[in-house]
Amino acid sequence: MNAPLIEAVGLSKTFPGKGLFRKGKPVQAVKHIDATVARGEAVGVVGESGSGKSTLGRMMLGLIPLTEGSVRFDGAPMEKASATEWRRLRRRMQIVFQDPYGSLDPRRRVGDQIADGMKIHGLFNAAQREQRVAELLNKVGLDPTHAQRFPHEFSGGQRQRIGIARALSTGPEFLVADEPVSALDVSIQAQVIQLLGELRRDLGLAMLFISHDLPVVANLCDRVIVMYLGRVMEEGPAKHIFAHPVHPYTRALLSATPMLDPEKRSKRILLQGDPPSPSNPPSGCVFRTRCAHARDACAQAIPELRPFGDGTARVACIRAEEIS
Amino acid sequence: MKKLWIPGAIVALIILLAVLAPVLGLPDPVRQDIANRLAGPMDGSPLGRDEFGRDVLSRLIWGARTSLSVAFASAIIAGIIGTAFGLIGGWFRGLGEILTVRSMDIILCFPPVLLALLVVTLMGPGAGTLILVLSVLYLPGFARVTYAEVLSARSLDYVEAVRALGAPTGRILLRTVLPNVAGPVLVQLSLAVASAVVLESGLSFLGLGVVPPAPSWGLMIRGARATMEQAPMLLLWPCVALTLTILAMNLLCDGLRDAVDPRTPATRKRFRVVDRLLPGLLPASAPRTDAVLDVRDLTVEIATPRGAIRPVQGVSLAVHAGETLAVVGESGSGKSVTATTVMGLMPPIARPVEGHAWFGGRDLLSLKEPELRALRGGPMAMVFQDPMSSLNPVHTVGAQVVEAIQAHQKVSSSEAWAQAEALFKRVGIADPAKRLRVYPHEMSGGMRQRVMIAMAIANRPKLLICDEPTTALDVTVQAQILDLLNELKRETGMGMIFITHSLGVVSEIADRVAVMYAGQVVEQGSVAEVFSHPLHPYTRALLAAVPEGDEPPQGIPGIVPPPHAFPVGCRFAPRCKFATAACTEAPLPLEEIRADRQVRCIRWHELTSTEAAA
Repeated sequence: MNAPLIEAVGLSKTFPGKGLFRKGKPVQAVKHIDATVARGEAVGVVGESGSGKSTLGRMMLGLIPLTEGSVRFDGAPMEKASATEWRRLRRRMQIVFQDPYGSLDPRRRVGDQIADGMKIHGLFNAAQREQRVAELLNKVGLDPTHAQRFPHEFSGGQRQRIGIARALSTGPEFLVADEPVSALDVSIQAQVIQLLGELRRDLGLAMLFISHDLPVVANLCDRVIVMYLGRVMEEGPAKHIFAHPVHPYTRALLSATPMLDPEKRSKRILLQGDPPSPSNPPSGCVFRTRCAHARDACAQAIPELRPFGDGTARVACIRAEEIS
Repeated sequence: MKKLWIPGAIVALIILLAVLAPVLGLPDPVRQDIANRLAGPMDGSPLGRDEFGRDVLSRLIWGARTSLSVAFASAIIAGIIGTAFGLIGGWFRGLGEILTVRSMDIILCFPPVLLALLVVTLMGPGAGTLILVLSVLYLPGFARVTYAEVLSARSLDYVEAVRALGAPTGRILLRTVLPNVAGPVLVQLSLAVASAVVLESGLSFLGLGVVPPAPSWGLMIRGARATMEQAPMLLLWPCVALTLTILAMNLLCDGLRDAVDPRTPATRKRFRVVDRLLPGLLPASAPRTDAVLDVRDLTVEIATPRGAIRPVQGVSLAVHAGETLAVVGESGSGKSVTATTVMGLMPPIARPVEGHAWFGGRDLLSLKEPELRALRGGPMAMVFQDPMSSLNPVHTVGAQVVEAIQAHQKVSSSEAWAQAEALFKRVGIADPAKRLRVYPHEMSGGMRQRVMIAMAIANRPKLLICDEPTTALDVTVQAQILDLLNELKRETGMGMIFITHSLGVVSEIADRVAVMYAGQVVEQGSVAEVFSHPLHPYTRALLAAVPEGDEPPQGIPGIVPPPHAFPVGCRFAPRCKFATAACTEAPLPLEEIRADRQVRCIRWHELTSTEAAA
C-alpha cells in the first residue's frame, strides 16, 4: 500500500437547520469520519440517501467547509492553504457528478467547457488546448469533432463522458466520482465503469467512488466504507466485505440488493421502515432502531469503529462477535 | 429566428427614425405657426398641425428621440447596476445580500410618482432628471430577478464543476452564472424599456418630465388633451406610436431570449387532423386466450416536429392471472409507452395505429375515454415511478385513497374510510388511522409508494401495471416494496406487469420477462430460461453488463438509436458483434421457437449451436 494521497481525519459536517418561524434542528450530515485514499487506489463509499456520502466527498475536495476535522492532501493540511495554494490544489483534484444533465452548462460548447480548467490555470496556449480537448474526448471514447456541439445534443452516457473529460483536463491525481453511473442505463453504466477502471489504471488516479450500488463498488473498488446516517458502519477491503459482511446494516444492504443469479441471493433481511432523520439521530448506535440484533446496550454508547476478525476490516458494532 | 424578424424590423425602424431625425428634412418641431393651428393634413404636414401650429409628424419623430433615449438610457443603467447587485447578493449572500438586494426593497416602498415628484422638486425637471428617476425605479426589478436566478444557479452541478476546476469567483460569475441568468434579465430589460417609455410619457404629461417646447410623446398627449374635441386625431398619433413601440419591444425581447438559448428546439411542424381520425378503422379479431391482458402487435405513433415516429412497433405481450410479467429495457426502448398506451394515458399526439389490447373481452385501444376511465383504478390499476408527483400535495393521503375507492364503489364515506384504513394496514403502514390524515410531503418516499399501491389495489384490480415503482427508492426500501407486491399478487391472484430497467429486480419479482429494445420485443420467455440461456445477442449483452460477481461488467458499444433513426433491419445490428449483412436488410419477425419462448434474431439458432459445439 502506498502512502495516502489524501487523508481525512475526524471529519464532521453540521448543516444549520431551516425553519420559517424558529430555527430548525441542525442536521448532522457527517460525524467523525476518517478516510484515506492512496495513489492509484479506489475507495468506495456506499450508503442510502441521507447517509452523508456525498457530503463526505465534497468535504474532501474542500468544496464545502468542514465543521470539524482536517484533510491533508499530499501531506499538507488543506485548511491551512492560502488562496494561491488552493488554486494550485484545485488542479490536482476533481469531481464527476451524478446528473449528466445538470452537470454541464447548457449554453456553452462542450469543447469550451473541457478547456475551462486548462484556461483557468493558464496551461498551454490556445492551439495546444484545442489539441488536448481532442485527446481528452478521444480518451473518453468520443469523437474530437464533438467539441463544437452543445450538451443537449448528447445522450446521458455521452454527457457523463464529457463530464469525465472535463474532470481530467487539469491532470488531477484525485477524483471524486459522486454516483457517476446511477442515472445511466445498464449497458451505458458498464461502459462508464469500464472507462473509470481504465483511467484509474492508466493514469494512476486515486478515486473516491460514491455509490448506492454495492455490486458496482465491489467490482471497481479496492476498499469500501459503508455509511449510515453520517457514520461509518464498516470498512475494509471491498471483496472481503461483500463476501463476509459483519455489521447488521451491511448485511441488510447486501441482502436487499437485487441479484441476477438466484444462487447469489442471501436470505432477505428485511429492514423495517425508513432511515431516521439525520436531524434527530437515535442515541448510541444510529442503526439500532432498524436492527434486528439491537439490545439495550446499543442505545447507551456510540460504538467505536474497531478492527474485527483478522484485522483487515473494521466494524462499528458492539455485538459483532456474537452475531457473526 | 423567424420570430425575431418582424418586431426586430419595427424596433429598428423606430430607432432609425429617431436617430436620423435631424437629417430627414423635417420641419422644425418647435416652430409655431398660429395661423395653421389645429390644421388637418396639408402640404408638408401629412399628419396636420397641433395646437400651436407645429408639424405633428416632425414632433412625433423628434419625440421618439427623446422618449426612446430616456427609456433606453434608464433601462440600461438600471439593468447593468441591478444585475451586478443581484449577482453579488445572490452569490455572496450575507452582508452583500443586505447591501445590494435588501436595500432595493426600500425603493420598492416608494410610489413611483411620489419618488419622481421628490426628485424633480429637488433637481428641476428635464431629461437628465427623468433618466435618474427611472433608473432608480427599475433597479430593484433587475436586482431581484438576477438574485433569484443566481440563487437557483449556484446550486447547480455545472456551477460547482467550475468551482472544482478552481475558477476565480469573478470568472464564475461572468462566464458561467451570468449567461445562464441572461434570459430573464433580457425579458426584464424589455419590460423596463417598454414601461419606461410609458412612464416618461406619463411624467411628461404631468409636467414632471421633458420641459416644453421640446417634443415628447407625453407632452404631445398632454397638449392634444386640451383640444380633444376640436382635433381628436392629435391624441391618436402619439398613442399609436407608444403602443407600437411597446408591443414591438416586448416581442423582440421574447424572441431574443429564445435565440440566445441554444436549447430552443427548431420550429414545430403542425400535424393534421386526419392523422388523429385514422385509427380504429381496422376490424377487430376476437380474443382467443385466457390472459388477463393480451396485447397484439401494438404500434404507437407520435407526431413530432421531425415527423411521425414509432417508439413502439409490433409489440405483443400477454399476462395471465397470478403471474408477473417483467418488461425490461433501457431508456428509449418503448416499455413505458407500451404501458401508458394500454392504460389510455398517452397524450393525444401519441396514438396507437395498429394492434389490439384485449382486456376482459374488450379492446382497450378502441374504447372511449369514459369507458376507459371506468376501468382505470378499477379492474386495471397503475403504480408510477415518482409517488410525489402522482399524489396531490394539497389533500391528505387518506382523502385521496377514499376518493379512489368511491370512484368505483358505491359506499358511504365512513365505510370508505374504514376500507382505506384496512388498505393502509395491508400495505404495511404502521399506525394507519393516524397516517391517513397526513399530507404527502410529510411521508417518506417508501411510504408514499405504499400509499400509491394502496390506492391501486383499493378496487381489487385484475391487472396491476407498475412502471418503475422502485427506481427512486433506496435498496432497503425497494426490497420492502418488492416483497409487498409479491405478497399482494399471491393473495389476490391479479396479473402484474412490472416495468423496470434493472435485471436484478426482474430476477427477484417476475415469472416471465419480455426484453424490449428500440420499440420492439426482442426476446420473451420465463425468467429462469431467458436469464440462464439468453438467445438474443442483446439479452446476452445486457446480462454481461450487470456488475455482479468478479468479472468486470461489459458495456455495449454505441447507444440506443432514437426513434426517428431506427435501422430498417434488426435494430440491434449496429451494436451487435454477431451482425451480418443479412441482419440489416429487412425487418425481422419475432420467431416463436417453442411455446412461450420468442426471439427476434435470424442467427439465434446458429449462435447457440456453435456455442454448444464449443
